[in-house]
Amino acid sequence: MKKKLVTLVLLGLLLLSGGLGMLTGHRELSLGERRKLAQWPKLTGAALLSGSFTSSADKAAADQFPFREFFRRGKALYVTYVLGQPDNNGIYVTDDSAAKLDYPLSQSSLRHAIDRIQNIVDNYLSGTQVRCYYSVIPDKNYFLGNSLGYPVMDYDRLLDELSRSLSMTYLDLFETLSPEDYYRTDPHWRQECLEPVASSLARGMGLPFSSAFETVTLGRFSGAYAGQSALPLEPDSLCYLENETLRGCTAYDPVSGDPVPIYDPDKLDSRDPYDLFLGGALPLVVLENPNGPAGRELVLFRDSFGSSLAPLLAASYSKITLVDLRYMDSSLLGDYVTFSHQDVLFLYSTLLLNSSQSLR
Amino acid sequence: MVFSSLIFLYAFLPAVLLVYFLAPGRVKNTVLLLSSLVFYAWSELRYLPLILCTIATGYGAGLAIGRFRRHGKVILVLEAVLCLGSLGLFKYANLLLEALGGVFRLELPLWRLALPLGISFYTFQILSYAVDVYRDTVEPQKNPIDFGVYVVFFPQLIAGPIVRYQELAPQLKSRRSTLDGAYEGAVRFLTGLGKKVLLANPLGAICSAYGESTAPTVLFSWLSALAFTLQIYFDFSGYSDMAVGLGRIFGFQLPENFRHPYMSSSVTAFWRRWHITLGAWFRDYVYIPMGGNRVSKARWIRNILVVWCLTGLWHGAGWNFLLWGLFFALLLLGEKLWYGSFLERHRVFAHGYVLLALVLSFVMFQGPTVEQALSNLKAMFFLGELPLWNRESLYYLRGSLVLLLLGIMGATPLPSRVYRRLEPVLSWVQPVGLVLLLLVCTAYLVDGSFNPFLYFRF
Repeated sequence: MKKKLVTLVLLGLLLLSGGLGMLTGHRELSLGERRKLAQWPKLTGAALLSGSFTSSADKAAADQFPFREFFRRGKALYVTYVLGQPDNNGIYVTDDSAAKLDYPLSQSSLRHAIDRIQNIVDNYLSGTQVRCYYSVIPDKNYFLGNSLGYPVMDYDRLLDELSRSLSMTYLDLFETLSPEDYYRTDPHWRQECLEPVASSLARGMGLPFSSAFETVTLGRFSGAYAGQSALPLEPDSLCYLENETLRGCTAYDPVSGDPVPIYDPDKLDSRDPYDLFLGGALPLVVLENPNGPAGRELVLFRDSFGSSLAPLLAASYSKITLVDLRYMDSSLLGDYVTFSHQDVLFLYSTLLLNSSQSLR
Repeated sequence: MVFSSLIFLYAFLPAVLLVYFLAPGRVKNTVLLLSSLVFYAWSELRYLPLILCTIATGYGAGLAIGRFRRHGKVILVLEAVLCLGSLGLFKYANLLLEALGGVFRLELPLWRLALPLGISFYTFQILSYAVDVYRDTVEPQKNPIDFGVYVVFFPQLIAGPIVRYQELAPQLKSRRSTLDGAYEGAVRFLTGLGKKVLLANPLGAICSAYGESTAPTVLFSWLSALAFTLQIYFDFSGYSDMAVGLGRIFGFQLPENFRHPYMSSSVTAFWRRWHITLGAWFRDYVYIPMGGNRVSKARWIRNILVVWCLTGLWHGAGWNFLLWGLFFALLLLGEKLWYGSFLERHRVFAHGYVLLALVLSFVMFQGPTVEQALSNLKAMFFLGELPLWNRESLYYLRGSLVLLLLGIMGATPLPSRVYRRLEPVLSWVQPVGLVLLLLVCTAYLVDGSFNPFLYFRF
């Protein structure tokens, strides 16, 4: 009898304390998941009648629950070690490296990306003296998923479709990269491993490439996949490459006119430490090298992967303009970039090509 | 609001329990009625007036039938028309419009009304009350609060069990919540929560993955069919466990709805163990009034077909549900007229036959259309020109082996038998187990968003 009473009281206390913690929660951000947390909605008649209040409250309940990260970790451990499931929330871990299942290949997404690229070519590049290239960055699933026999997107078909649709030179990176070139806990590649990639791209564009860099280690960070998988993963080391050339370079945002640090070490403690490289998510960044070859310019259409690559190509150009079509409409490009005789490189990861709705 | 939600577990339920147990005895039913209406309104505020009107008409009909016995039949018919009319309008209007459109080759505009939560359940409860009052097997309920609790009692409002008024009436008047009852109720509730969150939901994710797959295989189609067969059991029986457990905490004894149905050795036996209260409802209010099996063979066959068509359509307004019901009708007729004794003499074969029939029937049930169901069935039997397996299907098979094994074991009496045998030892760790179960379920709910109740929209 006493045991039953104690059990009921304990369960009741758990429910009460959990409920109080949940209802009074005002947490705004989940650093692990890299997103804003849902807040408790305001109770209005319109919201009640439309049902939006209750659906928002349900989301807020999960996001504001006390010890949220503890519970997410518990679920991840249960799924992985009790149920033996290979992935949790689509993230799997092998050899202490996390990757995201990303399949099948979305034809509509790929088509959309090709259309956006062709739109740029048609509206800005035709009739000019630019030299056009494209390259594709394989995601970690290409290496890890394939080796484990996990479902992966049809990479051959992706490359084949791009080859048939784009009339520009393809620079292959699939043979240059390996799983070790990526962060263990993040989808991005590690800048300190990108010299062969930069060299390969430079060679493909007919440029010399100098690889005299010093590695600067900032500290430890847990990438996006660590938060999404909720599994205990060894953090990565965040490093960047420096040399005399880069110390003489400057970068700025041509939209606002504000300077942009090439490397911002303060980002190590931010929501996304990968923002260390060239200011993170910006629609336009210009990187200028006063000692670079005069008149040699690169316009790099990129996703986030391009942020860490561009500094390595700085020595080969006097000016690199980085364009992120996820954050700017391509119709505005002409206000900031005049195409004449630059190298133009479309460099996108398979993750973006398979989910390209954000390209404008 | 669903039982397996954080808002219910950590806000609504503690608040209701607190208010209920602090309230004086004469007010407890009012607490239950108001909390049940809040529970309903949380998900369906716009249909709150509908359920209130339904309660009012049911209450009024019961009183009127009791007061004006001479006109009892007319009042009963009126009430039935109101209840079934409401159910028909919200649930079956589009099916009828599509059928008429198909027959007369017309493009008829369809209703854009969402199905009110639990309408199939509370409609049947009110109907059975009205019929029982008419048959004079129960006294009409004069207290509108008590009647309201009978109709909308939140533990069983949106997914059963379907409770007969005569079962609940004495408990509405007088019941006792005891420590033992509350503990048993908590155990039952948490067991149901575990079935839903830890088994049904992950199994449902396998079915969703199959539905979204662009490269299905024979293996994946069987994996999905098996997963759905287990998912629907744990989803529905888990909900029933939670309902019975909650009822127990409040001092009510609600009827059982499942009795290890997958252990049946005939389809006849299966339907005595699966959704027991629904089967009993159709038996008492449709089958027996039509004559049951005390009529000529032709009429008896007609009765079986009618009841099973209605059972199928009760589950959903779709032709696949009708076919599902008819499928069971044919099997039941086959067992009664042809091979029933064979099944009794060959138990192992009988179990295999039942399980195969169930897996195939639930493919039809899952639909969502007849065409899709037939396509899935063809895929399972190599008639869909699909490969036997691929990476994706092997991935899901590998990842779901433990889950499927737990599900298969959980669908048998084995866990409860093992627990009873080891009870002297396990009873000491049961409290720890209950707390852990709550915490693991909470972990799933905090992390996940995939949490639909399959019988939620009935």
